[in-house]
Amino acid sequence: MSDADGRSARGRAGPRPPLAAYPLGWRVLDALEAAAELWPRRWGGAVKWLMLLPALALVGLLLWGLGVMADASLRAMDFRTYRLAEEWSAANFAKAWGSAAFWATARRSLVAAVAVTAICLALALPYAYAMTRTRRPGLRRLLLIGLFLPFFIGQVVRAYGWLILLGQQGMVNQALGAAGLGPYRLLFEYPTVIFGLVQYMLPFAALMLAPALAAVPEEVERAAASCGASWPRTLWHVVIPMARPGLIAAALVVSTLTLTDFAMPAIMGGGGSDFLANLVYDQFFRTSDAGLGSAITLILTFLGTTVAAVLLTMAGIAAQGGRGRR
Amino acid sequence: MNRFPNGLPLTRRRLMAGAAALTGATAMPGLLRAQEPGKPAEIIVRAWGGVWVDSLKRGVSDPFTAMTGIAVRHDLTEDNEIKPRIWAAVDQGRVPPIHINWDTTANATSSALRGVCEDLSDLENLGGVLPLARPIGLDGVPIVNTYAYVYVLAYRPEAFPDGAPTSWQVLLDPRFRGRVALYNDGIGFHPAAQIAGGGTLADIPGNMDACWQFITRLKEQRPLLGEDPDFTAWFQNGEIDVACTISSNAREAKMNGVNVAWTVPVEGAKVDTDGLWVPRGLPANETYWAKQYINFALSREAQQVWLDGLGLPGVAPGLTPPADLVGDPSYPTSEADFARLLLVPPRIQAEHSAEWFARFKDIMQG
Amino acid sequence: MPAAAHPAAADIPAVEARGLARRYGDAQALRAASFTVAKGRFLTVLGPSGSGKSTLLRLIAGFERADAGDLRLFGRPVEAVPPHRRSVGMVFQRLALFPHMTAADNVAFPLRMRRWDARDIPARVERFLALVRLEGLGRRRPDELSGGQQQRVAIARALVFEPQLLLLDEPLASLDAKLREEMQLEFRRIQRELGVTTINVTHDQREALVMSDQVIVMEGGRILQDAAPETLWREPAHPFVAGFLGVGTFLEGVAADGPALDVAGRRLPGRTTAGAPAPRPGHPAQGALRAERVTLGPAGTLPPGSDAAVEAVVEDAIFEGDRILYELRLPGLGGARLRAIDADPGARARHAPGDRVAAGWARGDFLLFDASDRTGRLP
Repeated sequence: MSDADGRSARGRAGPRPPLAAYPLGWRVLDALEAAAELWPRRWGGAVKWLMLLPALALVGLLLWGLGVMADASLRAMDFRTYRLAEEWSAANFAKAWGSAAFWATARRSLVAAVAVTAICLALALPYAYAMTRTRRPGLRRLLLIGLFLPFFIGQVVRAYGWLILLGQQGMVNQALGAAGLGPYRLLFEYPTVIFGLVQYMLPFAALMLAPALAAVPEEVERAAASCGASWPRTLWHVVIPMARPGLIAAALVVSTLTLTDFAMPAIMGGGGSDFLANLVYDQFFRTSDAGLGSAITLILTFLGTTVAAVLLTMAGIAAQGGRGRR
Repeated sequence: MNRFPNGLPLTRRRLMAGAAALTGATAMPGLLRAQEPGKPAEIIVRAWGGVWVDSLKRGVSDPFTAMTGIAVRHDLTEDNEIKPRIWAAVDQGRVPPIHINWDTTANATSSALRGVCEDLSDLENLGGVLPLARPIGLDGVPIVNTYAYVYVLAYRPEAFPDGAPTSWQVLLDPRFRGRVALYNDGIGFHPAAQIAGGGTLADIPGNMDACWQFITRLKEQRPLLGEDPDFTAWFQNGEIDVACTISSNAREAKMNGVNVAWTVPVEGAKVDTDGLWVPRGLPANETYWAKQYINFALSREAQQVWLDGLGLPGVAPGLTPPADLVGDPSYPTSEADFARLLLVPPRIQAEHSAEWFARFKDIMQG
Repeated sequence: MPAAAHPAAADIPAVEARGLARRYGDAQALRAASFTVAKGRFLTVLGPSGSGKSTLLRLIAGFERADAGDLRLFGRPVEAVPPHRRSVGMVFQRLALFPHMTAADNVAFPLRMRRWDARDIPARVERFLALVRLEGLGRRRPDELSGGQQQRVAIARALVFEPQLLLLDEPLASLDAKLREEMQLEFRRIQRELGVTTINVTHDQREALVMSDQVIVMEGGRILQDAAPETLWREPAHPFVAGFLGVGTFLEGVAADGPALDVAGRRLPGRTTAGAPAPRPGHPAQGALRAERVTLGPAGTLPPGSDAAVEAVVEDAIFEGDRILYELRLPGLGGARLRAIDADPGARARHAPGDRVAAGWARGDFLLFDASDRTGRLP
């Protein structure tokens, strides 16, 4: 079928079936194709760039914002006039470096990022595994609903839900009270924040892992068994390495979201378990110190980028290993 | 749509507004002026939610609308979140997002220092109110203080079978480990901690070691840190026994059926003010009507209703206190009442709040 | 644990199945399968998809459990033995190599999992890579190997730990014809070299005949015949077996003495096969005829070597290179159809569509089956 054939067929007159005979999707595509004809053929190469434009605009906006932040981070705030200094200095970075609150919140954010990621992966793996492997459609549906339902409930709403459940007069303490225990302060501690974050991030992790696990053929697991591997060893030596892209993607999402989280420490931390994002908020909105706020933002961005880079490097090594030298 | 110049055309609404203005002559003398600028359809007032906006609406906004025909919209953005937006608008020559900011005086002072506030010294009602209404140490009148409030020691009576606590030292009592609450920026607590820690008010801001030592010891108690709605919720849910909070929050919790009481301990308690201000950069007529709103908010009629709702002492003389607050130490009216309270000038607060905040966070987050 | 048989246990079969059954929901995948495989033999289970042959393999591997019946491997009941504890190597349909490991690591995997002495592993892996002719390719990953090389890795991995039993789950199905034939011989060679008892599953009759000592034909979850390849070819015990082994023509009729098949009044002499019930005269019967056993001659003659002939009209003549396939219509037999293959087209005259010819065959090539219960018929 040459191009010329196609063109002459298009131009051929004759009785045509009524337009409505075609599915709507076809007619939409026909219209788009007709509209595309108006685009000069010589500029065809520009189309792919044109389609990239919205994404590039967004990235550009982000970079512009970072540039503004970088500029502000180099200007110290004068609290007699509440204006940033005219000249650049590293004062804000020095201030952050010398601040106990900065180190405490930075350590807390990083430890949480690592802990929440580890716990989420450990919990999401069996969940996603069960979801992709079960032969019972009912169970699969149940697991899918359990996975997607939390996405319909925002982080803040869920955090407040935990306040109700875990409070001094909450259901958990009431149950403990019925058993003659407590009440205990379950809320407003660092572990509470970790718990809330795990609960929040778990569906993300399971969602990222499921396709990776589904991509591991059951036959490969059987092959491992026939090689003499028990199920735990199959999981460790075969399933996890093969699902590594999914694990790294899940780790990437969970760790960066946790590192930069604001709501959980704000709501469930009782004010004493702040993360870096809370510290940033304080600078911008409480002390009105846009300079220090920008400096901490840049440090947080740098930390997040480093975590992502480490994970992506691991993924890159894994992918390279799969592709190899040829 | 009422942007016509004065006298054109004479609508029913204007007629009614004029009549209202006549009856409220003492409240709105400016309305009788011959050269009254054109009225905007609405003005936007930033306010805190809950009992705060409800009482403002009842006491100030609704009567203002009835008198002038100008609708009042309440923007419930947090005061500290609207601030950078106003600053950016003024910097960039844009019209700011609100007409009037209801703000803590300390927070408003930072805006005044930055120079984004209209001068309010020509408000007519400013002549007849208590001196408290004029901010200390600033040029002109960039902010008008509208009432005072006290950071009281609020407590659950069940936790104090032997009677009300008498000293801030009670916060260090091991019995209340994990059951103490403070504002998460430490605001309102510094002077009390300074005295309770053995220092003097006069040493603020020069030497606040006593304050920081007291707060460091308090950190061992694992206090909860939050904001106004948190305190109410925490008292309601039995999470805390004692808190340093604005009396209004304790009173609101009490009115909602939570068993909460409050006291001013022997060391005293910090007294502070809130105020209203108008950002620069509004069209002249809107600035005029925004100022009129503030002028009206200073009137006795407006303050009586507004501040009854908040349970706070206003700046208009001769207000009748709410029945439940007569003689309450958190409702200072006389010189003697104020003498028991601890006042830090707003300018000193504004200039040092970032530093104090950082210090407080270093202790609490460490 | 060497696979070499203990002399005392020489008479114990490698696999002994008694009444194995397995059901998936409403589908009976396997019905009362019973068979034995002697040690060192190469068994092929032949059948179309859905015949139950893969289920049978999974039961032997231990990936699934039988609903009923008894399975013994080397005399030992294995019902309660999980797959990783059975001494069974397996080559999978899609090979199931571990993509994140090198070829050598793939081969070493069973040894590591079975806790062989780590010092012995590299040499052994080398030996088995050499056995499958992959010397020097051990450091490549599966996706750096060709299809045939991947196949060899899978074989080495399945055999390296000296399993007592090797299972092949259609591993050659995805290869192209040339490579498949090469690998068939390769499997045979390695199997002979190691003497490991092997069970192969396939739907390819040629593969079954080429590779096996013993063939089981399955259909609908049932074992239809269990025999040596030659027996299967010459004496199919069931028309389905005959059809699966390449019989192209089935004529429907009524059984007659002789034995013979009456079709539309014509009596066609044939023979019954060993193992199949003889058709009862007067009852419905089928006659099966391989296309390559049909000889064509001029109309009205009896083609050479034939015991019977019928009049036929050429409908189509398909040139297949080394042979010609004729599609014939038999007007004398009520319009029945017949396939004939001329395997030596140069030697004889070509027939064109529309030509009238005589189609003849030897009595011994016309296999008669009872058709009174109508089961197991080809569609």
